[in-house]
Amino acid sequence: MRTNKSLSPSILATLAWRNLWRNYRRTLIMLMAIVLGVWAMILFSSMMRGMLDEMVREGLRVLPGEVQIHHPEYRDDPSVANLIGEPDAQLLSVLNTAPIEAWTARIKVPGMISSERDTRGVLLLGIEPDGEIALGFKLADVIEGRFLESAADKGIVIGRKLADRLDTELGKRVVIMTQDPDNEVADRGMRIVGIYRARLEATEQLNAYVGRETLQKMLGVGNSVSEIAITANNYQTVKNWWQTVADAAGDEQDTQPWMVLDGYLGTMASVQGTINLIIMVVIFIALSFGLVNTLVMAVFERVREIGLMMALGMRPQWIMLQVLLESLMLLGLGLILGNVLAVFTILPLQSGIGISVVGEGLEMYGMGTTLYPKLALQDMLLSTAVVLLLGLAASLIPAWRASRYNPIEALAKT
Amino acid sequence: MSAISSKNLHKTFSQGGHIIKGLDDVSIDIEEGEFVCLSGPSGSGKTTLLNALGGLDRPDSGEILVGGKRVDQLGKAELADMRLHHIGFVFQAYNLIPVLTAQENIEFVMQIQGVPAAARAEKSRAILKEVGLEDHENRRPSQLSGGQQQRVAVARAIVSNPTLVLADEPTANLDSLTATQLMDLFVKLNRERNITFVIATHDTRVMQYCRRLVRMEDGKIIFDESQPGIG
Amino acid sequence: MSVTTRLAWRNLWRHGRRTWLTVGAMIFCNALLVFMIAFQFGTYGLMIDSSLSVLTGHIQIQQKDYQAESRMRYSIPAGVDLAARLREQSGIQHIAARTTAFALASSEERSFGIQVYGVDPEREPDVSTIPGLIKTGRYLLDQDAAEIVIGSVLARNLKLTVGDELTLLGSGRDGSFAAGIVTVVGILESGLSELDRSIAQIPLAYFQSVFSMGDHVHSIVVHLDALGAVAPVKQRLVGLVQQPELVVLDWDELQPGLRQAIQADMFSAFVMYAVLIVLVAFSVLNTQLMSVLERTREFGVMMALGFSPGGLARLVFLETAVMSLLGLTIGCLLGASIAYYFQVFGLHIPALKEAMDQYNLPAEIYPQVNLISVFVGPGVVFLGSMLAAVYPALRLHTLEPVAAMRAV
Repeated sequence: MRTNKSLSPSILATLAWRNLWRNYRRTLIMLMAIVLGVWAMILFSSMMRGMLDEMVREGLRVLPGEVQIHHPEYRDDPSVANLIGEPDAQLLSVLNTAPIEAWTARIKVPGMISSERDTRGVLLLGIEPDGEIALGFKLADVIEGRFLESAADKGIVIGRKLADRLDTELGKRVVIMTQDPDNEVADRGMRIVGIYRARLEATEQLNAYVGRETLQKMLGVGNSVSEIAITANNYQTVKNWWQTVADAAGDEQDTQPWMVLDGYLGTMASVQGTINLIIMVVIFIALSFGLVNTLVMAVFERVREIGLMMALGMRPQWIMLQVLLESLMLLGLGLILGNVLAVFTILPLQSGIGISVVGEGLEMYGMGTTLYPKLALQDMLLSTAVVLLLGLAASLIPAWRASRYNPIEALAKT
Repeated sequence: MSAISSKNLHKTFSQGGHIIKGLDDVSIDIEEGEFVCLSGPSGSGKTTLLNALGGLDRPDSGEILVGGKRVDQLGKAELADMRLHHIGFVFQAYNLIPVLTAQENIEFVMQIQGVPAAARAEKSRAILKEVGLEDHENRRPSQLSGGQQQRVAVARAIVSNPTLVLADEPTANLDSLTATQLMDLFVKLNRERNITFVIATHDTRVMQYCRRLVRMEDGKIIFDESQPGIG
Repeated sequence: MSVTTRLAWRNLWRHGRRTWLTVGAMIFCNALLVFMIAFQFGTYGLMIDSSLSVLTGHIQIQQKDYQAESRMRYSIPAGVDLAARLREQSGIQHIAARTTAFALASSEERSFGIQVYGVDPEREPDVSTIPGLIKTGRYLLDQDAAEIVIGSVLARNLKLTVGDELTLLGSGRDGSFAAGIVTVVGILESGLSELDRSIAQIPLAYFQSVFSMGDHVHSIVVHLDALGAVAPVKQRLVGLVQQPELVVLDWDELQPGLRQAIQADMFSAFVMYAVLIVLVAFSVLNTQLMSVLERTREFGVMMALGFSPGGLARLVFLETAVMSLLGLTIGCLLGASIAYYFQVFGLHIPALKEAMDQYNLPAEIYPQVNLISVFVGPGVVFLGSMLAAVYPALRLHTLEPVAAMRAV
């Protein structure tokens, strides 16, 4: 007779499946728990992902450009003294190659803006309008008047909130004041040609757009700029290409991706995965007690059968495999249903959940008043991996115990 | 050649602080094709001997040979293999796996042996017919009577052509008629297939069928003789 | 011990492993809840404290329009005198007047638009932690001196050290041109980057003369020792101020984002806790249902002996209650000891340094163990567990003694 050391898996699968439904109440309760757990895992990750996505987008919307090039001292001391020249031929060739979709050069200096009524500190952004639009400025955000028309435009575009604070309006003149590289006060009067709206009031109060050439002339800095902002319109892929830009820009200039430029967002992005994993593991642990309990009960009430199968020549490791398979089927079923439930509940929510009740609190975190959960395959896969891996690990003990029964004692059990 | 033999088997248990001699220097030699009854009161050691012979339990000392091969030193997995291929078991009750149908229970052993599906189905159907249950192959154990369950157990025990079938009180839960039918089946299989049967029992109905009667008491064989005129 | 209690206790230990696994789920959940809630309380306490103690204070008195639009001319006349009167009449000593203005600060090399505070050098230490954060030099001393203290990052950006001069340019309360030259006497470092980048304080009287404020101030800041005192003190101040142009605002009105930030965080945390509690309840439901089902025969016998279905249901609830109490006790003890350890020694999460910085928090968090943080979560777990026992207990009412005794 042929001795086959490898077992036929179908019989184990049949046994595991039928055993699973012997006590259908218990299985259904456990299944409900797993489905709820998996659903919660995916829901929380989607929320986290949505929140982070919103924060990063908002951060990039305030000052677009996933990668920025500055003077090496600029980030520490963002003053007019630390400027860089326009991109040279080598950098230009990189900037005009995919995946980079757009870039622009800005001059960015702190300044004061005064109306007849009041004075505020602002960030003066000397921009080139087409480049800024290519980088993501939305013309629709200009709610009164117009956006700048060229880098030589002599007008200024300010935020709604700043206009309120200054008690001024479209068409009125304001005085902007800043310092030139020789620390002489440079000032000029400008007409407000546009008023824009931003998601965050803080942005509306801070950023004031003026023509780049106008500002350069006012500061007497020739063609120099504060930063070159570059986008590929996808903040997640930055790590694939920013080094190429950095190499082309050379060591003389400081090239950084958004993760470094905004340390807070960078940290949040890098710890997000860990936080999600921790939440998933915590939920799983809460589940695992029930899972182990179910399996222990299932094994305990089948001791005699297990003894019988061993007496008939079933090897201990096959018994173990059978229990693991049973657990795997339960987990797999829970995962499928949980994922389906998650997809059906989260997809409709992706268009946004209004949370204006706590809106100002979220603004403190740099987010808008609508939460957009983001269902990601990655999170679904991660939760599946967590549940399967830890689930099997938790099932090992009952499965191992089942395989350690002594057939005679097991058979004698009534 | 002897189908199975043992030499100087010893086995002790401790039960409630007392040392009990389960097997006390038991030597027995069973030839191929024999039909042996192990009798004796409960606690006499007959189940212990059966378990030891079948490789379910290991003796403290002594030798067991199945088909001329020492089996008392084998590991758990090798013992499982030995049981799978050479020995069939019929127990007193709970012989069947509740979640499997009659046919699946019979195929179970062949499945762990790795017999292809078509061959399994053919063989299991033939053997169900042989034990008179051809119409019951899709029933689960809970849908079968006690006697029918035992027949399925017998079918499963012989399906992989073992050299030896060990039965422990197979008739204990059966009425007289069913018990007689089961014993008739045993005898028929013994004759037609030359399978060696060792049956532990204290049922006198069973002993009438045995050509060789071994009687045990306190872990010792006290009586071992052929019963002429039987068989 | 009554018969039912003894039965319940013994039944639980018939399947010790199963009972411990169920209790284990409760312990895990309870300990986690206790720790997390204590941790949250600690964080919120810190958020409130660090936002309020630094600058804002617990209560401020302002001109009624100033909070909505902080304009120079929305000011409080005779502010210093009002602050003195309030100190005297309210019995609260930690009250100080302040003014604020935007100015272009120019050093030899650099200029920045900054927000300058005019503070009372003598009173400011009572309401703000800033005077205590001076790293080099000293805090302001004299009401009228042309002196300034600034944040460390601002000092670096302006390329200034103690002793250097700084020019302030802005507009006065009446819209006139305001200018002053001040000497840097102190540089402060709080570790909070936003503050270090922006803070600048000059003496109140000097501020008033440079920015043409007269005797006006912009806010009168009140610092209290406990959040609980805010409401009554606010009431008392409203009674004392008695000027229609002025309003008394508490911290929630001054920083509406703060309470909402806490609420947003609480809400998401509670959803998570709810999931955990439901999972534990499932575990209890499963255990108790199994334990009821496998005892069908035994329950049949008990009913035949005269036990009512209600009595059996009480037995099941009692068993659940014993398990839940075990889980509650051990879970609370475990969670509270872990939380208490960190309450004493501080919980340091280096990975979250930047995030904490954003919320104006130091990187060390001290969880707050109190009755609420210890018992609220586990209390809900207890209720959830008892609720989970309802279905198994209800099944007992459908039991028929004879049929039950025949069951396997």
